[in-house]
Amino acid sequence: MKSKTRMAVLLLLLAGGALAQGGNSELYLETTASAFIKTDVKLAPLDVLSGGEKSVLAADQLGEIISNDLVFSGLFRVGTEAGGPDSLSFEYAVEGTVEGPLRDADTTGETAPTTISLNLVTWPGRQLLLNKRYRPLPSQIRATAHHFANEVIFALTGEPGITMSRIVFSRSTGNGSDLYAVDYDGAGLLRLTANRVLNLCPSWSPDGSMIAFTSYRDHLQGLFVLDTANGQVRQIIAQGGLNFGADWHPGGDELLVSLSRGGNPEIYRIKPSGQIIKRLTVSKAIEISPSWAPGGRDLVFTSDRTGTPQLYIIDSDGAGRRRLTFEGRYNDSAVWSPRGDKIAYATREGNITQIVVMKSTGEERRVVTDQRWRNCEDPSWAPDGRHLVFASDRSGVFKLYVYDDEEGSFRQLTFGDEPDISPDWSH
Amino acid sequence: MNRSWMKRTILIATTMTLVLALAMFAGCSKKAPVVDDPAAGQGSGQVEDLPPPPVPEDNTVDTTPPAPDYASMDPAEYGVQDVFFAFDQYELDNESMGILSANARAIREAGTVVLISGHCDERGTLEYNLALGEKRANAVRDYLVSLGVPASRLRVTSYGENRPFATGSNEDAWALNRRAHFERP
Repeated sequence: MKSKTRMAVLLLLLAGGALAQGGNSELYLETTASAFIKTDVKLAPLDVLSGGEKSVLAADQLGEIISNDLVFSGLFRVGTEAGGPDSLSFEYAVEGTVEGPLRDADTTGETAPTTISLNLVTWPGRQLLLNKRYRPLPSQIRATAHHFANEVIFALTGEPGITMSRIVFSRSTGNGSDLYAVDYDGAGLLRLTANRVLNLCPSWSPDGSMIAFTSYRDHLQGLFVLDTANGQVRQIIAQGGLNFGADWHPGGDELLVSLSRGGNPEIYRIKPSGQIIKRLTVSKAIEISPSWAPGGRDLVFTSDRTGTPQLYIIDSDGAGRRRLTFEGRYNDSAVWSPRGDKIAYATREGNITQIVVMKSTGEERRVVTDQRWRNCEDPSWAPDGRHLVFASDRSGVFKLYVYDDEEGSFRQLTFGDEPDISPDWSH
Repeated sequence: MNRSWMKRTILIATTMTLVLALAMFAGCSKKAPVVDDPAAGQGSGQVEDLPPPPVPEDNTVDTTPPAPDYASMDPAEYGVQDVFFAFDQYELDNESMGILSANARAIREAGTVVLISGHCDERGTLEYNLALGEKRANAVRDYLVSLGVPASRLRVTSYGENRPFATGSNEDAWALNRRAHFERP
């Protein structure tokens, strides 16, 4: 119950963040420019006005999270002093104040909010570009920091950051596997299912209110939807055979899914109610792993009609089929970037699987992982179209890693001994 | 009028004669006094021609062993064996077809419903392995149906690479994990 409440609170905050966005968008950084030209931001320690030790801790936490968010975006370098080993040359600064709770939690029996004021200013001129004030509960400090960092990124680039996004994935638990959600920076791990069966292939709805996923009841597959506001799960379709690989349409009112209906899997469009809208493929081959293009008019999927699994593109009526991959004897799990320009997928080379990124035209194919990464599977794009989450067993057990396709850098997202697979990045 | 009276007289006379004859016959046999007593025939020569009375149910239990409760058993316990596949393949080889012939007999005799689950080794993707696992389970189901097992007795699912029988990233483990597994649904 506790975790469900927490999830609802966080999601409410996320929704608030999306509404609050906007404001000053005159200042732009060139996000598509070379990855190695970054903007330096000075992060001064926040001033603690009152509240004692709790406010000091909150100020430290805010500073650390905002700093990480700016660095993880790939667009900024962050420091406290100019120069230094990294030769930082600040153009902007983040400043702010933390004012502790006026009420005492011990006497009122409540957890009182802290007042936080955060500014983005030019440096060294200290011209105010952005001011945000928050009154978060102690449990909302992280969300506050992510929200402000997102505002900073939006103010300086004109595009929203990914600081409030989350990743849902499947973590093995003995004979079953449960869905978990984690903040994009690896914090805030939250278990979403606990039903002792396999729960696989989760997919966020565009507004984050639903997660579609595949599970088993009495050994048979069905497609389910989890309501992220209240944790309720309902089965939407169970056609006999496979019911998997859901991908939510960018418009939010339908999904792609593979249904085998006792024969071989084909791609279908279905409504969130489970009603079939249209069957898109007809063949004796395996047709799986559909992923919408950002406009929701085309989709990429896998077919082994030639004898090996390869990527194809069709439109939303199933027409205009064209083959996309000719290199590699095993290509699957394609995901179309939310920017539309790239497609990432998994390719098997010998006994191991690697991650490939290419243009959505099929050109400029790059294998972005190597043998050190062992098996790399299930790529999923961040909403910025730059970062990619995938599962790798390079440590001996599958864990999630985030790849920055501009910089070619990697960051481990999840830790622990249980295998983590099937990540899906929220929109 | 006359005719009908005569008919009736003849009918009555005949009936009386028959009754008398039967009474006399009954009188000949030991002590059975009443003709319409159901036990009248007992002990007479006529009894020998009647079929023997049904044997009480209890006697059959003594002579044959109780039928096993197949429905509560794992198929392996009544002789059903898993079959294995080559890398990336779902076709049945000769060895598998031999095993499935024996499985078909065992399943028919047991009269049970069995679940066939398709499994893959860890190589390749989760999605494609779910589809390949289903192809393997379907190949096994189709072959069993061709051997006369009713399709209604066979349920099919796929776990892909998600429920390995052997751990490890080597040929031995991979070979054990590419299988169609029989279990109680």
